Amino acid sequence: MDQYQGKTAVILGGTSGIGLATAKMLVERGARVLVTGRSQAGLESTKAELGESALVVSSDAGSLKDIDALAERAKDAFGALDLLFLNAGAAHFAPFEQTTEAGYDEMFDVNAKGAFFTVQKLAPLINRGGTVIFTTAISNAKGMPMFAAAGATKAATRSFVRTFAAGLLPQGIRVNAVSPGPIDTPNWGKAFPDKDMAAQLTGQLSDGNPMKRLGAAEEVAKAVLFLTFDATYTTGAEIPVDGGQSQI
Amino acid sequence: MNRYEGKKVVVIGGTSGIGLATAKMLADGGGRVLVTGRSQAGLDSTQKALGGNGIAVSSDARSLADIDTLAARVKSEFDSFDLLFVNAGFSMFAPLANVDEASFDEMINLNAKGPFFAVQKLSPLISRGGSVVFTTSTANVKGMPMVAAYGGAKAALRSFARTFAAELLPAGIRVNAVSPGPTDTPIIGKAFPDKAMADHLTGEMRQANPMKRFGTPEEVAKAVLFLAFDATFTTGFELAVDGGLSQL
Repeated sequence: MDQYQGKTAVILGGTSGIGLATAKMLVERGARVLVTGRSQAGLESTKAELGESALVVSSDAGSLKDIDALAERAKDAFGALDLLFLNAGAAHFAPFEQTTEAGYDEMFDVNAKGAFFTVQKLAPLINRGGTVIFTTAISNAKGMPMFAAAGATKAATRSFVRTFAAGLLPQGIRVNAVSPGPIDTPNWGKAFPDKDMAAQLTGQLSDGNPMKRLGAAEEVAKAVLFLTFDATYTTGAEIPVDGGQSQI
Repeated sequence: MNRYEGKKVVVIGGTSGIGLATAKMLADGGGRVLVTGRSQAGLDSTQKALGGNGIAVSSDARSLADIDTLAARVKSEFDSFDLLFVNAGFSMFAPLANVDEASFDEMINLNAKGPFFAVQKLSPLISRGGSVVFTTSTANVKGMPMVAAYGGAKAALRSFARTFAAELLPAGIRVNAVSPGPTDTPIIGKAFPDKAMADHLTGEMRQANPMKRFGTPEEVAKAVLFLAFDATFTTGFELAVDGGLSQL
């Protein structure tokens, strides 16, 4: 399949879950991708899975130094980009009474500050007609206990989508977001190492969802690809992939 | 191409503009489409354009009797089907001071009441996993002079997308909307037979749009088909196809 032959994408946070599912779909359809991650094991298994159309790069999405290096690397590898997908996210879910300063700072550094400067540094590489996609989350629009800091970072990101969309109009670059609800990815396991707690939370999330299930990473990936290649008259928008949880 | 092979679709208001563009995309992809319209000339040219994959049916989208007849026709042609695209709509432009009762009623009957009963009568025929898509409008979330009744009717329709989404969850049917901004279709020409006035209005709308252009019916059609067949974890949502007009 060669639907995306000649297309290039940089995916921050592409070694698992939504980012990996998107990278796979792109590569299967002929695109070249550069994915970033932090764990060496994750980077190696991703490279093995995606094959030669993919570059994997170790990069901390909250580090401005790493972001500068990533911009250089992307320029060397691809010259120009069609898609910049900011999917890297830090997730520390805790009642707000128990949120630590370190946890709070990490979420803002990665989800908001890192995302901001990534677009600043990499937007100049994006082709006319190309696009930036953020992964926000339904926590940015709902009042969900445990998600106070995380939700706020995603609300900041949702705002960036609007302002960057306006700012990048002259360059013909669209900026949109996908907003996942509860999705079946390894992220939950990372946030809740206690397996029983993770299982209980997954059950609660399914029950609390209008469609009574978790979403699949591929469902989010399809929304990313629609926004990137088909939604040529849409900018500043956010597509929820959440079983209706933020809409009903 | 057989992307929509096996899919059966009903398009209410499918003989021009967005409805026709969507019907064509489906038929080209191997889907079977039943489209409705009122003008015999429109129905004839649509039947020709869609060929063997299309059925063009005369039906007044405001008439509950016609909706009942349509449901019977759909059942006999398709038995069950996958997408109900309620696209029939019309805009009347008048300052608040000049709106008479008849035009107010017309806006509500065509753009809100007709779609309400169309979904009531036709959704029992939609297969599990299928969907309903409404065409709303940027006018439903912005304060746009001259289209108060139209905007209100489209806001009602957007609300129906949420409530029907909630009600049709047990049936496994998703309900979403596309919200076009200024789109290159006959709707403005029909509302303004005076060409000079129509040109003036379209010029203003183009300038006011962030992307400084109209959208194409195909851009809206792609969003409809994304919502219909790929957005399997999205319901109750309104997707803007408007150059950023409602988002920035």
